[in-house]
Amino acid sequence: MSRLNTARVLFATRFAEMAEYRAEVVIWMLSGTLSLVMMLVWMAQAQAAPGGQIRGYDAAGFATYFLSTWLVSQLLVVWVAWELDFEIRQGTLSAKLLRPLDPMWTHYASHVAERLVRLVPMLVLVTAFALLSGARFTTEWWAYPAALGLAALGFTARFLYEYAIGLLAFWTESSTSFQELAWLVYAALGGMFAPLDFYPAWVQAVAVWTPFPYMLGLPAQLLAGKAGPEDALRGALVMLGWLVVFWFLRLAVWRAGLKKYGAVGA
Amino acid sequence: MSRYLRLLRIFTGATLSAQLEYRANFVGALLASLGEVGVALLGLGIVFGQPGISSVGGWSFREALLVTGFFMLTEGVISVFIQPNMSKIADAIRTGSMDFTLLKPIDAQFGVSTRHLNVLRAPDLLIGLGLIAYAASGLSVTPGGVLGAALLYVSAVVIVYCIWLALSTTAFWFVKTQNVAELFNGVFGAARFPVSAFPLPVRAFLTFVVPVAFITTVPAQAMTGELAWGAALASPVVAAALFVVTRLFWLRAVGSYTSASS
Repeated sequence: MSRLNTARVLFATRFAEMAEYRAEVVIWMLSGTLSLVMMLVWMAQAQAAPGGQIRGYDAAGFATYFLSTWLVSQLLVVWVAWELDFEIRQGTLSAKLLRPLDPMWTHYASHVAERLVRLVPMLVLVTAFALLSGARFTTEWWAYPAALGLAALGFTARFLYEYAIGLLAFWTESSTSFQELAWLVYAALGGMFAPLDFYPAWVQAVAVWTPFPYMLGLPAQLLAGKAGPEDALRGALVMLGWLVVFWFLRLAVWRAGLKKYGAVGA
Repeated sequence: MSRYLRLLRIFTGATLSAQLEYRANFVGALLASLGEVGVALLGLGIVFGQPGISSVGGWSFREALLVTGFFMLTEGVISVFIQPNMSKIADAIRTGSMDFTLLKPIDAQFGVSTRHLNVLRAPDLLIGLGLIAYAASGLSVTPGGVLGAALLYVSAVVIVYCIWLALSTTAFWFVKTQNVAELFNGVFGAARFPVSAFPLPVRAFLTFVVPVAFITTVPAQAMTGELAWGAALASPVVAAALFVVTRLFWLRAVGSYTSASS
């Protein structure tokens, strides 16, 4: 019961904090435009192609795929590595270590609360973009909870591995640069540049062994109506496996880092 | 004038010696540069990797690579010269340290625009120039084309600087605008591709509303010799107009500055 209470208070305070930043949240949403840029390029390419199609995607098909990617990627946003970098370098982590709760949970609550702040402007924007670009999302009702569930698993997995990368700040000043490289792999294999089947065969063969296609590309394909329930189920199982891996990875880096940590001035 | 040149030299020396204290950060900055060029090249590579696609918006692979080169060069100019200065404006207003800048007997806009450099991101500049050179080596480029591209790129840098300054200057009224420049980054992401690679309404937006077309597409066109005279003339005109407007905006903002405690 007290655990539940802790979670409730944690979430309520984080939500209040995030609601303060609502203008920034909208700015962040609009600054991540890679999938929108790629959408426009592919749409123009499809229109110019003979038959109006590239690999079975017409302009509206590309619009649907990339808007879905954009929508899912909004739910997968994680910035914890930047905060850890700051906390470890400035030593503000020390005070948090005194609490009888792993600081990770505060960050996790912040991220989840931010999703709620993001929800309304996100739906407004995606509706506007869909009207402008002619995207058509699937009419199968089950695809929406399935995509949301996969996005929730994907977000948690991404949070854990980004947390582990952020903890590298115990050893190096450049942890945020590693984070940027990790983002590149996530964006490429997740399918932000193009649907995964547009990639060379060997890249696809590598990608299926990583979590990225299941956290970003698969939920996007579900929303676009190009993936079935069995794909969703398989993706969920793969993501659960990765969650276990990342959970222990994060824990190992955290334990090793704490041994190394001697706060600023200590 | 010579006083400002001397100040530039002093500012550069001070910021260089401060940054060389933290040489280990160079590795991190290099990773960030590689990530940046990776995104730009992946986007282009996947589009051209599809069977049957040999041009994007009428640009061949080499020509489009030229645009990507100018994009990376501009990313470098922003990271090295513009962003380190502009990102400090909002903070200086919030904490009141803008007072010190305004009290100095030099032009305040010059002061806030030139005080800092981030030399760690200089590899971006080299990567950009390298990409441009590689792309141009496979095209027929005349010396006149290179000169025209260089001149038009100067207006491109002025345009970028003016947009950043205008966005950062809004902090005089709104204070909490550290992230506002991210909005420009969002639109600027489109500059990885030639403007003709986009659908028509978007092309108009990138030319007339946020003049991203003048930053990477126009210099690249000058280099390949496909630039229309109209665009060649429009670029410096837009740059000059933006410079005057942001100057007036800046003066207006400074005039309404009331410091942090009042």
